[in-house]
Amino acid sequence: MTQRFDSTRIRRTILDMAYAGSTVHIPCALSIVEILAVLYRSYLRLDARDPRSPTRDYLVLSKGHGVMAQYACLHELGWLSDGEMQTYFSDGTRMKGLSDAHVPGLEVSSGSLGHGLSVGVGLALAAKRRGTSQRVFAVVGDGEANEGAVWEALMFASHAWLNNLVVILDANGLQAMGSTTEVMDMEPLIEKLTAFGFESREVDGHDESALCRTLDELLASPDPRPKGIVARTVKGKGISFMEHNNTWHYTRLNAETYAAAMAELTPREAAAA
Amino acid sequence: MRDAFSHNLVQAAVADPRLLLLTGDHGYALFDEFRRVCPGQYINGGVAEQNMVGVAAGLAKGGFRPVVYGLSAFVPIRVLEQIKLDVCYEQLPVVFVGDGAGVVYGQLGSSHQSTEDIAALRALPNMAILSPADAYEMTTCLKLAFEPTGPVYLRMGKADLGTIHTAPPLFDWGGLCQVRAGAGPVAWIATGSMVTTALTVAGDWPDSAVWSAPCIKPLDAKQVAAICRQHTAVIVLEEHSVYGGLGSAVAEIAAATAPTWICRIGIADRFSERCGSYAYLTREHGIDAPSVRMQVERFLERAGCAPPVQQVGSRQAA
Repeated sequence: MTQRFDSTRIRRTILDMAYAGSTVHIPCALSIVEILAVLYRSYLRLDARDPRSPTRDYLVLSKGHGVMAQYACLHELGWLSDGEMQTYFSDGTRMKGLSDAHVPGLEVSSGSLGHGLSVGVGLALAAKRRGTSQRVFAVVGDGEANEGAVWEALMFASHAWLNNLVVILDANGLQAMGSTTEVMDMEPLIEKLTAFGFESREVDGHDESALCRTLDELLASPDPRPKGIVARTVKGKGISFMEHNNTWHYTRLNAETYAAAMAELTPREAAAA
Repeated sequence: MRDAFSHNLVQAAVADPRLLLLTGDHGYALFDEFRRVCPGQYINGGVAEQNMVGVAAGLAKGGFRPVVYGLSAFVPIRVLEQIKLDVCYEQLPVVFVGDGAGVVYGQLGSSHQSTEDIAALRALPNMAILSPADAYEMTTCLKLAFEPTGPVYLRMGKADLGTIHTAPPLFDWGGLCQVRAGAGPVAWIATGSMVTTALTVAGDWPDSAVWSAPCIKPLDAKQVAAICRQHTAVIVLEEHSVYGGLGSAVAEIAAATAPTWICRIGIADRFSERCGSYAYLTREHGIDAPSVRMQVERFLERAGCAPPVQQVGSRQAA
C-alpha cells in the first residue's frame, strides 16, 4: 500500500478522468499534483466525514482549470466515488470541467480567473475575525496572475495581516496561448509577492519534501505577513510528450495517447512488486 | 432616505455582530454613525471593488453577513461577474447597496451614472432587487434585505425627494404599495425616484391609481396582472434604461398573463452626452414631470384613453 495522495496515482486518476470525459486542461492539472498532494496529506485539517465542516482548513483552487487534480484528491478522501469520477464532464452530473463550489470539497467556483483568491482572502479574514486557527491555502495560476483582481486580493491580504493565508503560485510558465514570458511577463514573481507584503519563498513545485520544508517553515513563522510560495512547476508534468508542450492545453487524449501516457505512470505498487 | 439607510444599518449591525459593512472607499459622511457605533464591523476595502466582492463572498461563507456598499456604477456594474459567480451562484447572504443610481451624479458623467444596473442584475439567478422610493420604504426594504435569504441588491437613487408614505409600508418580497387609489383607466407603477414624478403627473388623470414598486425582483406577478386587468393602460416609470428594468418586468408579466397597454418610461438607449444638474439631466432624458406628461398623453391617445384634465397651473408647477 502506497501512501495517501500518491502523486503517480493522482496523475493516473487525472488521465482516467480526462480520457473518460474526453476533456482538455490536462497539463494544468498535472502541474499542481505534488502541491495538492502534500497539502491534502499533511496540512489541510479536514473532517473526513464532513467536507463542509465549519472548522475545516480551506483549499481554494483559484486556477479552476486544474480541477481534475483536486477531484483526484477528493476521490482519495472518499468524497467522490469511483463511479462519479468516471462521469467527469458528462451530461447531468455535478462533475463540471472547472472548479465548482456546489461540489462538497471544492471551495470556490473558479475558471473565470482572478476570483478564487479574493474568496479565499474572505475566508481567511472570517477565520481571523472568529478567532479560529483555520488556514486557507490558495492555489493561483501564473497565467491567472495576469488578472488585476489577483493583485487586489494580495494587497488586501497584506493590509489585513492575514498570516493564516498561504498563496501558492503555480508557476508552470505556460498559459493558454503561449509562454507566460511571451504573453505577459510577470517575473520576478517572488519579488512581486514580497513587494505586495508577503513572506515569500520559491520552491520546486514537484519536490514534495521541498514543498513540505517550505510550508513547515512558513506556517511556523512568527512573521505576521501572509505567506506566498512561488512553486516552479512543469505544465504537463509526468507525461513526457505533454511537458512544456502547450498544444496539450487544448488537446484531448485518444486511445493511443492515453495508453502512452499511462505507460509512463507505473503505479508504485507495481514498481515495488 | 440616506439617514434611514444609515440608521437602520447601524441598528442591524448592533443587533447582529456578524453584519460587516464593506465599502470601496466610498460613503464618507454616510457612515459616520456606523464607524462611531460599530467600528469593528466597518471594513474599507480600498479602491478595489472586485476583490471586495470576493472577500464578501468568503466572509459570507465563513458565517458573516456582509453589506457591500458602493456607487451603483461600480457596485454592481463593475463587479457584475464577481456578484454572479462568487455570490449568486452559491446564494450567499450578501447585501449590495448601489448608491446614486440613475443620473444622480449628473455633472460627473457616464462613469458615475448607472441606468443599466437593474437590467444586469435581473438576469442573475438568486438575486433580489429592492428600490425604495423614500425613507419609509427604505426601512421596510432593509428589514427584508437583512433576512438571511440570499443576495440582495438595494438600489438607492435620488435620496432627497421627500417622503411618499407616512410610516414604513407593509410589503413582502415582490409586493407593490399603492400610494394613490383610483379606478380610472390609467394606472401608474413607478420605482425609486420616479414615484414622486408619477404622483405629480398622475394628478392630471383623475381617478388613476399609483403604485410604488419597492421590490423589482421578485415582482408579484399576480398583483401586477391584477393591476393590468383593472386598467386600460399601465404607465411604468423608472430612472433606468427602458430596456430590462421595471418596465420590462411589468411588460413581461402583462404579455404572458394580462395583455394591456404598457407605456415604459425611462432612459432611452443612450448615454448622457452633456454635463448637467439632476434637473437638467432628467429633463434631457425626458423623465422629468413635463416630459413624462407629454409622453403619456401621446401614448394614451394611441391607447384610446381620455386626454388628461387640464389643471390650472399644472404646467408651470411642473
